[in-house]
Amino acid sequence: MSQIRASDLIASPHAHDGGSVGLTMRRVMYALTPATLFGLWLYGWPAINLFLVTVASCLVFEFASQRLMGRRASLGDGSALLSGWLLALTLPPWAPWWIGVVGGLIAIVVGKQVFGGLGQNLFNPAMVARVALLVSFPVVMTQWVAPQPLTAPASPGFVAGMRITLTSPPLPDAIASASLLGHAKTELSRGVDLLHAFAAPGAPTPSAAGMRAGSLGEGAALLIVAGGLYLFFAGVIGWQIPVAVLAGIAVPAAIAHGIDPARHLGAAEHLLSGAALLGAFFIATDYVTSPNTAAGQLIFGLGVGLLTWIIRGWGGYPEGMAFAVLLMNALTPVIDRYVKPRILGRRRDGRELAPVQS
Amino acid sequence: MSDTGTKLDYRTIVRDGLWDNNVVFAQMLALCPAMAVTTSGTNGLGMGLASTAVLVVANALVAAIRRTVSLQVRIPVFIVLIATLVTMVDMALNAWLHDLYKVLGLFIALIVVNCAILGRAEAFASRNAVLPSVVDGLAMGAGFTLALTAIGLIREFLGSGTLFAQASQLLGPAFAFLEMRPLPDYGGALLMILPPGGFAVLGFLLAGKRALAARRARRAPAGLPQGA
Amino acid sequence: MDFDTLRDQLHYQPISLGIVALLASGALSLAYSATKDHIAAAELRDMQTSLAQVMPAGFADNDLLQDTVTLAGARGQPVKVHVAKQAGAATGAVFQVAERGYAGDIVVLMAVDAAGRVLGARVLKHTETPGLGDKIEIAKAPWIESFAGKSLADPAPEKWGVKKDNGVFDQFAGATITPRAVVKAVKGGLEFFAAHRAEILAGGKDGGKS
Repeated sequence: MSQIRASDLIASPHAHDGGSVGLTMRRVMYALTPATLFGLWLYGWPAINLFLVTVASCLVFEFASQRLMGRRASLGDGSALLSGWLLALTLPPWAPWWIGVVGGLIAIVVGKQVFGGLGQNLFNPAMVARVALLVSFPVVMTQWVAPQPLTAPASPGFVAGMRITLTSPPLPDAIASASLLGHAKTELSRGVDLLHAFAAPGAPTPSAAGMRAGSLGEGAALLIVAGGLYLFFAGVIGWQIPVAVLAGIAVPAAIAHGIDPARHLGAAEHLLSGAALLGAFFIATDYVTSPNTAAGQLIFGLGVGLLTWIIRGWGGYPEGMAFAVLLMNALTPVIDRYVKPRILGRRRDGRELAPVQS
Repeated sequence: MSDTGTKLDYRTIVRDGLWDNNVVFAQMLALCPAMAVTTSGTNGLGMGLASTAVLVVANALVAAIRRTVSLQVRIPVFIVLIATLVTMVDMALNAWLHDLYKVLGLFIALIVVNCAILGRAEAFASRNAVLPSVVDGLAMGAGFTLALTAIGLIREFLGSGTLFAQASQLLGPAFAFLEMRPLPDYGGALLMILPPGGFAVLGFLLAGKRALAARRARRAPAGLPQGA
Repeated sequence: MDFDTLRDQLHYQPISLGIVALLASGALSLAYSATKDHIAAAELRDMQTSLAQVMPAGFADNDLLQDTVTLAGARGQPVKVHVAKQAGAATGAVFQVAERGYAGDIVVLMAVDAAGRVLGARVLKHTETPGLGDKIEIAKAPWIESFAGKSLADPAPEKWGVKKDNGVFDQFAGATITPRAVVKAVKGGLEFFAAHRAEILAGGKDGGKS
């Protein structure tokens, strides 16, 4: 942090708990580490390459755009690193290198620096990049692979992993795999109801341990929840957004599944699939793009959850978390306008409280 | 020359139209057609040329009758004139240049709602003589064509990897050399030919124009403000 | 009274607007009558070009645009069937079918011979995603030509689908819904032809429209 000039001094209180942007970002990264390591182990060298490329390109673009604007580069605060990290976790693990580079460009330049840098961006940079990539390259972005753990004999070695990341050869059928949400969507669209779709052999099954096809870091439900709980107890995030997001998905899913199990996936499938948990704990809780008040955060979280469920059920794409987060990001200024924090000594609507009668 | 008494010089009119007061990049008008049709350089060029034709004739007509029309009904009169012109261009193309019409037909009707045309009738042609109005129409139209072609080319290149695809259908077989595929293996980022890509490209071009103007202002000697 | 005063009077405004509107209408009706025949001729040429695309050259010697029957389609909508003839005998038919794709209706023009085999098919209109679903256009990919020679018996009815649904037709990478819709449309067209075969082949016999 830069030195405080005399002209910046304002009235007290000046209490400072020693926290900083960098510390918050570091804590989020600690929380992400177990799930990330698991994802990298699960999908092997191609995933490790993609992760490194995505994070590195975010850092490079952050540095370049701050140079271009004539500002001091602020790589040290870790925000670009974290954006790249989160973006990488939502990518198909065996995506080619240029997905990471283009994603980094979109996240940092279009999603963040164009708006003026950290704190000014309206939308979550990682989600902007994820949506732009999905819309731009739908084929590459929906190519999932079955888990190929590093320790398994079938897992590609370092050289083979490089080949997959650099040249993206067509996936063998044995490895290519549908995600659970994608499978549900394709089967429904060809008129097979879900009861039959998931009774068929080879159909994806929900798994809390994360042994399934999906994005790099969204599978390990238990590790993500553990990371989220650490963030909560470390005071980095409040309970409102994660709880509201999960409730926003689970409640309508449970009701719809109860009414018509042939058409709607159940709450457990919804929560354990796609980016539901990762989004609830790590993405929707982004300080910059979510509301300031507890009540506002509840509205925001419920909106994200409900929209995710709606997009998954009726949208053109199987997964809707990224779209839902962006839509609610756009609503955040409105929520903040109507749900304001109460000023000390005033009611919520801004009127002064009556003096206490003694 | 001008009814408002200001001195007009043709060089300023042309500069205004092409750059300083560009329909898209400075006035921010006609964004609907600018976003809707610029999925390729050819489409942008076609829309730009068709709009230019209507703009020139509309400007000339409005300037010719500007003293006859009373202030209160001028807008309806101009709109009727423009709509009539566009419909006639539409029918003429359909009848005699049918192949061109199949490429451009979609855009022709859109020209009626191009507020730049009414804007020029109102802001320029209704206050100036016929000749300067025609020059203004040509310059504004050229600026519009330039802007649309630029946006279209960038979106087309990023979005489908081609440049001026189908140009020979619009301009004739002699222009087939314009059709290029600079990166044979590049499949294109779909987002760029969808509407968000249009807005993103326009945003970056606007930022570029502003950066250029700011740099020019810095280089110019102090006390002499320049640029848009 | 000079012109400037006249121009500011109330009655001048509606009258001047009326005159402009009248002149505009006159100009438009002139332009319309000057272009009407040319436009009709051009549209006729368009129709003939697309008919010629789905039907091999020399398959019909009659005027397909004249010999038509209008029948009720599967959903009760009227379907205009152009009957192809050689030396007065009906040899096939050309008609449009539509099916809902990923982003709206896909309209397919298809030609069927008297035995119920597809002669050719072309997508006339669609709003599928550019770069993904638009491979159904002949300008983008030759995929649509894979229908030529197919009939309800070949491939077997359960094989009338994209490969993902265990059918014989290719799907496109990343887009299954679009080709699936076109396959369904063409199959529907063949079923329509089979259901109305007698009417169609007898239709147009008098050269009249029903």
